[in-house]
Amino acid sequence: MQTEKNASVSRTSVDAASGNPAVAGKHRKPHLVDRENRATVGEINVPNPKMQCRDVSVFYDYGEKEAIRKVSLDIGQNEVIAMIGPSGCGKSTFIRCLNRMNDTIDGCVVKGRITLDEINIYDKSIDVVPLRAQVGMVFQKPNPFPKSIYDNIAYGPKIHGLVQNKSETDDLVESSLKRAGLWNEVKDRLDQPGTSLSGGQQQRLCIARTIAVDPEVILMDEPCSALDPIATAIIEDLIDELRQEYSIAIVTHSMQQASRVSQRTAFFHLGDLIEVGPTEQIFLNPLHQLTHDYITGRFG
Amino acid sequence: MKKVLLTVLALVFITGIGNVTAASRDYISIVGSSTVYPFATVVAEKFGKSTSYKTPKIESTGSGGGHKLFGAGVGVQHPDITNSSRRIKKSELEKNMQNGVKEVVEVKIGYDGIVIANSKKAPIFKLTRKDVFMALAANVPNPDGSETFVANPYKTWKDVNPSLPNIAIEVLGPPPTSGTRDAFVEMAMEGGGKKFEMISALEKSDGKKYTEICHTIREDGAYIEAGENDNLIVQKLDANANALGIFGFSFLDQNTDKLQGSFVDDVQPTFDAIADGSYPVSRPLFFYVKKAHVDQIPGIREFLAEFTSEQAWGDEGYLTDKGLIPMPAAERKKYKDAVKNLVPLKLSDL
Amino acid sequence: MSKRDTSRTMNIVRKGMGRRYRAEKRFKRIGLVAIIFSLSCLATLFISIIGNGHTAFLQTVVKMDIYLDPAEFDPESLNRADYQGTIKKALRTMFPQVTSRGDKKKLYAMISTGATFQLMDVIKQTPDLIGTTISLWVPADDDVDMFMKGYIRRDVEETDRRLNDLQISWIDALAHDGRIKKRFNTTFFTSGDSREPELAGIWGATCGSFYTLLITLLLSFPVGVAAAVYLEEFAPKNRFTDLIEVNINNLAAVPSIVFGLLGLAVFLNLFGLPRSSPLVGGLVLTLMTLPTIIIASRAALKSVPPSVREAALSVGASKTQMVSHHVLPLALPGMLTGTIIGMAQALGETAPLLMIGMVAFIVDIPGGLQDPSTVLPVQIFLWADSPERAFLEKTSAAIMVLLAFLVTMNAVAVFLRKKFERRW
Ligand SMILES: Nc1ncnc2c1ncn2[C@@H]1O[C@H](COP(=O)(O)OP(=O)(O)O)[C@@H](O)[C@H]1O
Ligand SMILES: [Mg+2]
Repeated sequence: MQTEKNASVSRTSVDAASGNPAVAGKHRKPHLVDRENRATVGEINVPNPKMQCRDVSVFYDYGEKEAIRKVSLDIGQNEVIAMIGPSGCGKSTFIRCLNRMNDTIDGCVVKGRITLDEINIYDKSIDVVPLRAQVGMVFQKPNPFPKSIYDNIAYGPKIHGLVQNKSETDDLVESSLKRAGLWNEVKDRLDQPGTSLSGGQQQRLCIARTIAVDPEVILMDEPCSALDPIATAIIEDLIDELRQEYSIAIVTHSMQQASRVSQRTAFFHLGDLIEVGPTEQIFLNPLHQLTHDYITGRFG
Repeated sequence: MKKVLLTVLALVFITGIGNVTAASRDYISIVGSSTVYPFATVVAEKFGKSTSYKTPKIESTGSGGGHKLFGAGVGVQHPDITNSSRRIKKSELEKNMQNGVKEVVEVKIGYDGIVIANSKKAPIFKLTRKDVFMALAANVPNPDGSETFVANPYKTWKDVNPSLPNIAIEVLGPPPTSGTRDAFVEMAMEGGGKKFEMISALEKSDGKKYTEICHTIREDGAYIEAGENDNLIVQKLDANANALGIFGFSFLDQNTDKLQGSFVDDVQPTFDAIADGSYPVSRPLFFYVKKAHVDQIPGIREFLAEFTSEQAWGDEGYLTDKGLIPMPAAERKKYKDAVKNLVPLKLSDL
Repeated sequence: MSKRDTSRTMNIVRKGMGRRYRAEKRFKRIGLVAIIFSLSCLATLFISIIGNGHTAFLQTVVKMDIYLDPAEFDPESLNRADYQGTIKKALRTMFPQVTSRGDKKKLYAMISTGATFQLMDVIKQTPDLIGTTISLWVPADDDVDMFMKGYIRRDVEETDRRLNDLQISWIDALAHDGRIKKRFNTTFFTSGDSREPELAGIWGATCGSFYTLLITLLLSFPVGVAAAVYLEEFAPKNRFTDLIEVNINNLAAVPSIVFGLLGLAVFLNLFGLPRSSPLVGGLVLTLMTLPTIIIASRAALKSVPPSVREAALSVGASKTQMVSHHVLPLALPGMLTGTIIGMAQALGETAPLLMIGMVAFIVDIPGGLQDPSTVLPVQIFLWADSPERAFLEKTSAAIMVLLAFLVTMNAVAVFLRKKFERRW
């Protein structure tokens, strides 16, 4: 079993060392059904990457069920990379690998290599707790703690010891809320429960909570899918601003959103990373037939 | 909040476990028969209130359970006294001695009658023990006169004895776990069964079969097990004039406005009839004292003195108010002396 | 779709409406009947308990004028004085016409033996009273009490009453002088068990129940919650933990007497803890309630939405921090509910206590965890089994006290739950 998997590496995935992955992909005839023979097309590498994923496969139910296979992808500094693809194709699964959120799922097995600043985050010596402070995450459904707005923000910095006293905490809460663009709306009711805010405000609260611990990478799993268009627009603006300081990986259902906020886009299909490239190229001139079909709305 | 909880927990354990090592007991511990319980408790309460000693603790464990606990050994964790609605068995005394309980003082305290009663709203029953046996035994001698046993065919009291009323047999009584039931089958049922020649012949030829015939109560619905609670039987009899009930005399004594005790062999269960022995279904009650504890646990001597005083178990004593039937004066004196001198029971006495 | 088609559909729908409404009504009615049935069962229970028991809250007392003869009461040796004789003498002065020995005995029987102890207390407290005549309301005997409450009726045959005509005439005389009355029965709430119904009280058993449940709560809640948290949040899922889980579920269904046997073998025989003590009772009931608490706590933990866990982990909380800061507070109300159910079970339990000697006649009020004591349901059981008629009302009254205890416990739990409850 193991040897067969190893043997398939060269066929299904692009070897970063081979130097010309895009070409390697192009020469293959991709086929919808024959999963064994689907390789990623497009440039997976970026110069000076923040995170690098190589041959990442994820299995659920103790290896019974393969959710993504042999995904290789770089995430650049200060870039927004969007993951698109039909439901169930493994976008969430992939993004949750990046801060090892999948560890919490019983029976979930992650194979392959993921590095953050060239350090393998799946290495035995790595502690997930600081890792998750370094790689923050915003979820699809806004999930503020059932605590006050203030405590929602202050919680992370407190447990990490980033703040020493009340005034430092106050300052951090204020600056985080300001950067999330929420300060003016909530500054008079910081002691009210976070759950009392509207959906869009709650999601911005979650973003503020994430940036309060000063991460380097922010993962967002469909952050706007539960929000109305106005709230969505506010968050999209926010993402664009946050790019100045963070690397951001965002899963989205909406191709418009991907094209609006991201610099690069990765297209997943049935657990395979089909194509990755600059957002403009993916939407205007995709290399792969499946990508083309998807963005033109033939399926999805 | 969590810290408080932990501290309290620790404190509880320190006070709880810490004192155990002191291992002493400043009150008398009594176990045993539920029949003797109402009498022993009265004495204990009186003793507790009128002396500086603590009130003895009395558990109602049944006679057998009491002997078991009592005979488990010597030491504060074992009871000092056990009550018994029957005499201690030889096997029990042997067991006690094996466990180091070498010296046991026997005290007989009086008698208890077992009555068969019904509601005052119905006519009084005049039974013989033979009637009782025929009405309640699981198997009876074949009515056709052949020398065999048949499952009890009698449905009404008239079937049993033509002089009895023509109503269905319906008797409420204690379950097999009860000491009252043991005494009832032994004295009433066995006494009645013996009147049949073929059964009394069995006594010599096949003792096992004899006991089985005499002691097995029918289970076809004519006898209803009413639980250990005699009050419940009293209430049911009051509601159902056709039923009879079996329970200790003290319950009849407390409910004379509602219930009447049936004649058994021409004698009605009255205080005097039980005391003079003419009422046939009565039994002696006992308690047993562990001599080794007498000067270890404070108050045992004084408690024994209270129990055996005339004001307690005498003809006019307060125990008679609770339904205890006193022993004749000579017997009382004998046991009082035995208690005073703490004369232990010998195996050969049994 | 054409016009004809829609109207056809609507016709079919309309035709069915009657049937649907009827079904709905029928369903509602069945529900209503079920509720009325259970409510009426409950009402019958309460009415009969209160009907039987409310009289126990009153106690008949008799006013006696007692001369404290200085010749009898020496302040130096008050213990040796003849209190009973003094009471008897006072009775004889109240009814000088009673002369025969039998009648005197009947007369003395009208007053509870508790009068003696009451007199003793009074004199010991204020020895100055010696030499004077004092008026004292003393408890009447239970038969007199039953008569005053109407349970013993005048119209039955004299031989069938526990009070004869002469005694009733004395009661009438006392009533005429205003020397007999019913008043609130404080004894019932302040004293321990007694074989005299008029002196029996529920306080001893209440204290016993309190101590026992205190131990049970202090042990079973933290242990149960800790076990549940470990099993639910930290334990690896393997055969061994599965086995533990199955066993905990089985334990919840084990008859309670088994725990009593276990307590007898372990706590009494092995550890040598004192028999009949709330300490051992609490330990045994802890064993009994633990499975209930663990199962309820695990359900409460399971019901905490995964989004909260994810939120905590994603800002870098460790697992322990996630559990203690976020999951536990949210699960606490559910855990409290489970605990209160377990405690309510424990409060009503007698079977396991039988084995460890808590089904016992205990007069003294337990003062600590190691004193012999009994508990409320055991007290009810013991009184229900007593021959004296007057214990009947005490039994019902004790049931009321037990219910009150239960209601109080529940109220505290509801209060705590409200306090801890959070929306999410
Ligand atoms: N916890 C899980 N256990 C088992 N299968 C899962 C689990 N989570 C996701 N999957 C499966 O993995 C596949 C990818 O899911 P997901 O990553 O959530 O897709 P997406 O986010 O792209 O919609 C789906 O087939 C899904 O059913
Ligand atoms: Mg998803």
